[in-house]
Amino acid sequence: MVNAARPSRADYYEVLVDTLPEHALVVTSLGNASYLWAAMHHRPENFYFEDAMGLALPLALGLAIAQPRRPVIVVEGDGAVLMHMGALVTVGAVAPGNLTVLLIQNGVHAASGGQPLTNANLDLAELARSAGIPRARNVATPEAFASAMGDHEGAGANVLVLSAKPDTEVVRPPIAFDPVLTKHRFMSAIGAPRYVPTMFGGGRLQPD
Amino acid sequence: MVASGKQSADPHRPSEILETLKRLGFGVAIAVPDSWLGEILVRIEHEPTMRLVRATHEEEALAIACGTRLGGLRTAMFVQNAGLLSMGAGVVSLAQRYQFPILMLVSYRGTVEDPVFYHTPKGRVTEPVLRGLGLAYARSDRTRPIGPQVERAATYAEEASCPFALLLSQEDVQW
Repeated sequence: MVNAARPSRADYYEVLVDTLPEHALVVTSLGNASYLWAAMHHRPENFYFEDAMGLALPLALGLAIAQPRRPVIVVEGDGAVLMHMGALVTVGAVAPGNLTVLLIQNGVHAASGGQPLTNANLDLAELARSAGIPRARNVATPEAFASAMGDHEGAGANVLVLSAKPDTEVVRPPIAFDPVLTKHRFMSAIGAPRYVPTMFGGGRLQPD
Repeated sequence: MVASGKQSADPHRPSEILETLKRLGFGVAIAVPDSWLGEILVRIEHEPTMRLVRATHEEEALAIACGTRLGGLRTAMFVQNAGLLSMGAGVVSLAQRYQFPILMLVSYRGTVEDPVFYHTPKGRVTEPVLRGLGLAYARSDRTRPIGPQVERAATYAEEASCPFALLLSQEDVQW
């Protein structure tokens, strides 16, 4: 939940850099969620959203289904998750144990300039639990976040609601944010099968 | 129309759709049901080589589909055309922008063959909206086998690196 003295997104990201599981795949929502993460920890296994607000969580769910042996971490915002709250229900139903949802709760639409949310004070962890995700909790400090990242108890997805102060000043990412490049770089890094066109006798996905 | 092979009467068109998906290596289907789609989704749920994910909204389903395809699974979606109308932002900002090849199998409600009157508003606007979105699509041809039409739609999606919607009639998809 939003409280008075809140850490920054960067404070949490510093912890995430240090606690990122081996072979983790990271999906980041639009705006600074992606720009700052690219500035602090760019790697091919990052999938950066450019826009498509509210769709980072369901995309990460799909990725977790397709890559069950790899940890998948998604950074989503409170405004974004309110746009597609049904995705929490689907995450609860699928219950992927390899999915960690980091839900930045800053009470505003930070990526579009800081407009207030319809309701900035929801207990999003309680909301996630009600949606069928028992491993959901509110986190208010980087230290508590570090501890939570090391806690692997329980089944299904892990939702950590990170109380943060808004960061509306746009971070300049150090890399090109070309969507198709992002996708191909990511798929190459994870060894995703390649589609072979029909004119080469394919028409199927085949191991690269 | 999607061109296809010789003309013949399909024994059971929904079975042909499912068999084609399995033969082409589709590992997952993401769905939001309607009355025509209900049973084929149950059949997919019982397929050992496929997984069904039931989403709460079609734009959410599209994002899940992009995620499974990103992770290396050939992915189909089953939605009603109402879902195409409500997923426009996700189509342009995610699926098309990142060039995700997603096969959309769509129950095409509100055409003159549909007996349910309240679907007609969606039937009237579906194809103009798809053209406005630049979303590649075709209507199935009921005089030809459905399997090859599904295969060509799937091939188009992969080889043009984009989502492709195949608009299906009741007899195509209702089990």
